[in-house]
Amino acid sequence: MPNDAHPLNEPGRTARNIDPCILVIFGATGDLTGRKLTPALYNLGREGSLPANFACVGFARKQKSDEEFRNEIKQDISDFSRVKPIDENYWKTLHDQLFYHQSEFDDDAGYERLKEKLSGLDTRLSTRGNRLFYLSVQPKFFPVIIEKLSKHGLIYDHEDETKWSRVIIEKPFGRDSDSATALQKDISHHLHESQIFRIDHYLGKETVQNLLVFRFANSIFESLWNNRHIDHVQITVAEDIGIGSRGHFFEEEGLLRDVVQNHMMQLLSHVAMEPPVSLSADAIRDEKVKVLKSIRPLSEEDMKEGVIRGQYGPGFINGEPAIGYREEKDVDPKSAIETFLALRLFIDNWRWAGVPFYLRAGKRLPKRGTEIAIIFKDAPGVLFQQRDNPNLPNVLAMRIQPDEGIAMRINCKVPGPSSPIQPVKMDFRYSSYFGQSPPEAYERLIWECITGDGTLFARSDEVSESWKILTPILDYWEKNQPKDFPNYASGTWGPKQADEIMEKVGRHWRIL
Amino acid sequence: MTTPQIVKPEAIESTLIAIWEQLAKENKMRACLFNLIVFNRYSSRTDYIRNIVQKVIEKFPCRLIFISEDPNPHAPYLKTAVSVIMPQGPSSTIACDHIDIGVAGNESARVPYVILPHIIPDIPVTLLWTEDPCIPHPLFEPLSKLCHRIIFDSESADNLLAFSKTVLSLKQNSKVDIADLNWARTEGWRDLITSLFDSSARFEQLKRLSVIKIAYNGKPTEFFCHLKIQSIYLLSWISSRMNWNFHKADKNLHFEFEGIQASIESTEWEKIGPGTIISVNLTTATKEHFDCIRIKERYHYVSIQISSEEKCDLPYQFLLGQTATGGSLVNEICMKGTSKHYLDMLKHLEVLDKDKLC
Repeated sequence: MPNDAHPLNEPGRTARNIDPCILVIFGATGDLTGRKLTPALYNLGREGSLPANFACVGFARKQKSDEEFRNEIKQDISDFSRVKPIDENYWKTLHDQLFYHQSEFDDDAGYERLKEKLSGLDTRLSTRGNRLFYLSVQPKFFPVIIEKLSKHGLIYDHEDETKWSRVIIEKPFGRDSDSATALQKDISHHLHESQIFRIDHYLGKETVQNLLVFRFANSIFESLWNNRHIDHVQITVAEDIGIGSRGHFFEEEGLLRDVVQNHMMQLLSHVAMEPPVSLSADAIRDEKVKVLKSIRPLSEEDMKEGVIRGQYGPGFINGEPAIGYREEKDVDPKSAIETFLALRLFIDNWRWAGVPFYLRAGKRLPKRGTEIAIIFKDAPGVLFQQRDNPNLPNVLAMRIQPDEGIAMRINCKVPGPSSPIQPVKMDFRYSSYFGQSPPEAYERLIWECITGDGTLFARSDEVSESWKILTPILDYWEKNQPKDFPNYASGTWGPKQADEIMEKVGRHWRIL
Repeated sequence: MTTPQIVKPEAIESTLIAIWEQLAKENKMRACLFNLIVFNRYSSRTDYIRNIVQKVIEKFPCRLIFISEDPNPHAPYLKTAVSVIMPQGPSSTIACDHIDIGVAGNESARVPYVILPHIIPDIPVTLLWTEDPCIPHPLFEPLSKLCHRIIFDSESADNLLAFSKTVLSLKQNSKVDIADLNWARTEGWRDLITSLFDSSARFEQLKRLSVIKIAYNGKPTEFFCHLKIQSIYLLSWISSRMNWNFHKADKNLHFEFEGIQASIESTEWEKIGPGTIISVNLTTATKEHFDCIRIKERYHYVSIQISSEEKCDLPYQFLLGQTATGGSLVNEICMKGTSKHYLDMLKHLEVLDKDKLC
């Protein structure tokens, strides 16, 4: 029954129901499982946020025993958990909840054995038949795994009140508009939308969730949040690292598919959306979809003028030499894959008409940082101009990571008789108020999925609309191969053309 | 924690600044989410109260103003000391201010004037009043006027009926939010029962409830002696939420509602807080049983066994999560607003406990 109607439930106070369940991780020997998923499980369990009756089954192709799997997981937790050292008392509990299952992803016999194993664990651990399948595998395996799960009775009817099955799908969801539509069509034969949780780990970040609170719980900002007061918006996702060991993956995907289509479009829709009618998952996602639908399609001219791609060459990061993309392991020495993208978008709706949204993402930039900056229009320049130099505009910068916080640039009089005006910064840092390390995004997202709340996951129409905006860029690039790659040195803020799209309209990228 | 420095009240802020200047070299960051004023009389409960406060600042750093009143002084006094606490240990970069005030006799009248300049503006002020609010105290009114939220602990109350009347009256006559540590201690069980009956079918079974038995740990300690309170809170909460029609109760804590028998019993467990609820057994008129009991070796876990005349489900467990990590108390201190369920429960308690059973 609906939570609000239940007399024992006190909205905002009663804890969400955490049902007993089994989590099956497909791709259990992969990098993501070791670095993020199992440390997240460990921290959730240590803090009492996992159900008491719980098991995690690792599903992968390599042959290994339960004990070998557990030892590897323990090492991963020791290496990558946000809380160290490992709590041996809690580890004993988790150790007994971990199991390994070897099978190919397309092997019917393997799924039949999995079904028996899960059923046995239900009896041993009272997990009550609830199943959460985490597909931490290459996207090409999504359809076959879902089809096999369904075929072997591991996906239940979504209306079953006695037990549930849910599937978490890692990004990327499709390679372009057509493939995303095809994938959606494939999986929707077996799964209801309420059973699909498309993960975008940015949505699990506290700072991203705080965007809605910041906007809609503070009247002073929301009243300025429109084209009358805002000059433009900059969204930056900068990495100082290169592609590391992900050469194969990056050669297939590139930066647009890896970062822009998912993380950046989510940030943009959070910044630009209208207030939702409620905080329910669908109400929030409805508003995000409306924003994406309002984004002006990119014309051929926009592709030339407002979309800049780049690839890093050799350079220096923090003073140390860094190799170029084409010298990275598993990368084609003539690769045309982008490691940088700057993009200008317009949202053609009442609130944002005429306000450009500049998106910038890149690898091997001078520093790591994700930020949303709202640049306000200038104050009327009648007063306080200094030798005809206008004052700097107000900026509201929301730092998503690292050093999470919100800063506001304002103009201030320097003490003394000559009255020069100096920009100063009002700075709120999460750490200085809350003093605790926030949970990792994956902790929050796994927990949300166990409790059945899809708010922090992308809905199919969000994914589809995002691809509709960006697929024309991929098509244009396909037809127009880059001639100047590599076009920026490691340790710089990207190719000079990215600066030019701002400078010719009198704007500048922010330095993070 | 830095070594407390005994200072005159007028030197509190300047001494804190000097300590922070020193700590800046060690890369410590001054953190403060709210002002927390604690009023406590020296007693065997003082260490327990300090322990609660420690849990709060570990999770949410705040400016802590801890007032300790000496009930048996040789002469009146007022002493102030300042220090900086590293709530997550000395290696933590986060640290927060601690102002300690010791007071006795008629010097207590000065306390609000000492505190007032040291409240950090624009962030919430919470008062943890660890004494019985039914007993008038000259500091209660001035301190409560400073704060947005008052936390009581009904454990300190000698008479639960008087306590609920006082709290309800305070809520009615002021805008301050109110919380209660004993209410927070029952949070895990309230969540458990809510989750147990969350589906439509289960809710129908809850409506057919005929017997409810609650057992608590009756082993007292020096600082906990009102052991029935958490159990009666839980019973009062369910009965208020379900609108049960109360008929009568007796001194043995047997309660009769229309069509429902309820009882509260004592049992003794080691290693678990006195007054803590140990088990809740629910039976419907159609003989469905919901037996929930803490597991002795892992006492934050509750084993749940659901059975009927036809079938018996495999038992499963529920982790009283927030209770296990001390989160319930922290949440109750930091959460906004006053729980409507709590106020309804107190109103209902006035009926259940009209004969002063607790």
